[in-house]
Amino acid sequence: MLKHDVVIVGAGLAGLRAAVELRKKGIDAVIVSKVYPTRSHSGAAQGGVNAAFDENDSWESHFFDTVKGSDYLGDQDAIEILTSEAPGNILELQSMGVVFNRNDKGGIAQRPFGGQSFPRSCYYADAVGHMMLHGLFDNVLKYKTKILYEYFVTSLLTDNGKVSGVVAYDIKNGKFEGIAAKAVLFATGGYGQVYSSNTNALINTGDGMAISINAGVPLMDMEFVQFHPTTLKSTGILVTEGARGEGAYLLNSLGVRFMSKYAPKAMELAPRDVVARAEQTEINEGRGVDGAILLDIRHLGKERIMERLPQIMQLSIDFEGVNPIHEPIPIRPGAHYSMGGIKTDYNGRTAIEGYYSAGESACVSVHGANRLGGNSLLDTVVFGRRAGIDIAEYLKSASGDRKFDESAIKRDEEKFEKLKKSAGKERHGLLKSELQEEMRANVGVFREENAMKKALDKIGELKERAKNIGIDDKSKTFNTDIVEAFEFSNILLIAEVITRGAILRKESRGAHYRTDFPERDDSNWLKHTLATLDEKGSVKFDFSEVAITKFKPQPRTY
Amino acid sequence: MEFKVRAYRFNPETDEKPYYKEYTVEDYPGMTVLNALIKIKSELDGTLSFRRSCRSAICGSCAMKINGITKLACKTQVSLEIDKFGIINVEPLANMPVIRDLIVDQEVFFDKIKAIKPYLLGQREDEAHNRFKTLKEGEKISQPVYDKSEFKNLTGNEDTPNCILCECCYSECGGVVGNKDYLGPAALAKLYRYAEDPRDNDKNGSRLVNGSMPNGFWDCVHCQSCEQFCPKGISPVKSIVRLHEKSVKNSITFSSGSKHVISIARSIGETGRLDEIKVAFESGGVTGLLNDLPVAFGAGLKGKIPPLRHKLIKDMEDIRLAYKELDLEDKL
Repeated sequence: MLKHDVVIVGAGLAGLRAAVELRKKGIDAVIVSKVYPTRSHSGAAQGGVNAAFDENDSWESHFFDTVKGSDYLGDQDAIEILTSEAPGNILELQSMGVVFNRNDKGGIAQRPFGGQSFPRSCYYADAVGHMMLHGLFDNVLKYKTKILYEYFVTSLLTDNGKVSGVVAYDIKNGKFEGIAAKAVLFATGGYGQVYSSNTNALINTGDGMAISINAGVPLMDMEFVQFHPTTLKSTGILVTEGARGEGAYLLNSLGVRFMSKYAPKAMELAPRDVVARAEQTEINEGRGVDGAILLDIRHLGKERIMERLPQIMQLSIDFEGVNPIHEPIPIRPGAHYSMGGIKTDYNGRTAIEGYYSAGESACVSVHGANRLGGNSLLDTVVFGRRAGIDIAEYLKSASGDRKFDESAIKRDEEKFEKLKKSAGKERHGLLKSELQEEMRANVGVFREENAMKKALDKIGELKERAKNIGIDDKSKTFNTDIVEAFEFSNILLIAEVITRGAILRKESRGAHYRTDFPERDDSNWLKHTLATLDEKGSVKFDFSEVAITKFKPQPRTY
Repeated sequence: MEFKVRAYRFNPETDEKPYYKEYTVEDYPGMTVLNALIKIKSELDGTLSFRRSCRSAICGSCAMKINGITKLACKTQVSLEIDKFGIINVEPLANMPVIRDLIVDQEVFFDKIKAIKPYLLGQREDEAHNRFKTLKEGEKISQPVYDKSEFKNLTGNEDTPNCILCECCYSECGGVVGNKDYLGPAALAKLYRYAEDPRDNDKNGSRLVNGSMPNGFWDCVHCQSCEQFCPKGISPVKSIVRLHEKSVKNSITFSSGSKHVISIARSIGETGRLDEIKVAFESGGVTGLLNDLPVAFGAGLKGKIPPLRHKLIKDMEDIRLAYKELDLEDKL
């Protein structure tokens, strides 16, 4: 049994940023992560992080672009914080050691990004997520932070209406550990593995969201799933929006820059939901190239590609067998980002006292129905930082009138032991593939009631079959078989929440597009959905209002 | 097409010693070694254990030996390996203890990263923190100005900030094979990355001093493996050589490694020849000389003892001129 003041679950950007804030103040915060921190998926972010620096740019313009990008579902009080704190956050990161490319005036270089009315994405070639992750990790080391890595969190515990800690499984030796704390922050990332053809790491299984809804914390706007327009055709590996920021073209099989039809002004730099739909329409109408669209960067020239997009070049060669200096890259839309998540306020607080979330696992909501490229890294540092500050304040007055229920450790342990003993014949790896394919086909870029109901039936079938999962690995040392089985149960639950939310929302807004309800419906649907589980474990929905402070909803065209 | 994967297996709970197990897998175009391992795990044998995360060569989880060579499984194409070797042999990384199957204990590797103080020294962060502000309406923020050239060794594709800490270099490092306490390429490249950072406030040169201690950058054996096996195209050994240069330039020359380098340069600069006895004495002092005695004795037996007095060689002036050209004279 361990005891700390704060437990931070997840060691991507949001978790590390919060950790730095707490450790700098000397607070006893421990990081718990199922992988070593530098393996976190934040490191795969490529293109940029937005902040208005230029004298001809303004944070107010960034504010408006983000609201419009969110299709007016983002909470404007939170977006105002995101954008007005953006420049300060970037400079702070820079002073911590993060390196950004420079412009000719000696400031931070910035490139255009989709849906932004000014080039305001700060970058480090095409590996800014990697740079930020390692920079923050180095700072976590600077403040001598205790890191429990390769620990898989299985439960969030509460007592007396307050958070009391977590239960975690030590993957290295198979032991369960209770970690009591007055504050717990979940910075556990997204759930990209719900879909086949996604840009996400294999570790992105929505664990934090699943644990939260099981603990009674509502998940907000889960039907909004971002499909990134440019992912490698064969593997779904991300090709940064920065490629289009640098001037890349999207071409169909006729060699036409088809975006002129869908977003005549913004063209390739329209927001992701618009571009992903345009591509899928081209493919569906027979103007794709072997089920893909072509991303052409040849005209940028070798030198610029090598300088600005070196990772993209290497990934295309290694994973697609295409050298983008000489040939266009075959790409298609792939599941990328979760706009929804654990409902929090703009200080990271959730429905349970002492329980916080930040980053992709949280829904503040600053991204609303569609996130703009370059705003997710910003989200992680702005709200990771704010959560850290708020937790430090909370600890000053947090009372200790809560007990850590030690029987929960035993309970989780028994769950694992029971699975090990199961004689079931179903293989979780195969069930996962079936789920992912179903979600891609029926709850994807274009959605329609009957198809989604079919997906729901499939989810019901998989839930039944999941009761019959057996695992091969019975040992305690680094048993990844059993961890993957529990990850599967998490994505199965999240898939159900997404699908039910998507069936419920009878309109098209941002990334959620219903072919049977193709219009945005502000009179009925300008509201957040809140998913919880009832006593029987069935998903039920509630609604909450959108904070509209400065910008009244307008038609959204690009 | 079917192909075979031969995997190193070891579970400390059940196995006295490691063994190899063969699996038959169905290929598809573009299949990577990681894809093959995942297919084995989900369809054939859930007990096969390995680390993986991003599957796009940026997280550094899946480094392992593939047909004897350290690589990232996620970016290694099955077809290329099969064409060359006819089979996929997978084994855990070297220079670290095996926990299970393809999983090694990375604790020592990361302890060494921590040991080099991988962060900016000084108070810069607090300065910035005090400057942090939430912008009000119409308000702008001014940013510090750094010239591009100040970051020139930190923003290139082959520069060390691109390191993903995958441990490929560490697994192949000849220096670690000989001395398990040697910091190794990744940690030293990171040391260079911060020593080179224009924002670093390391006024007393503590980075270079600490890095010059035993097990530091003078213990590199220059085998070049780190550069050869880096999956990201980075050259840690180049960073290490730059650290050598930096410390000599900054007169941090207490280590026998730096004395050795200086002595060699001086010997050649003075006589055009390498005076081995003198170099041995100047690098390691009397103890160094005594330590080298058995080697010298062995060499003597084979008639290879170096001359006690060196004559000046012809064309000595050319060598001096070259030194002048290289701007070495003042530093020696």
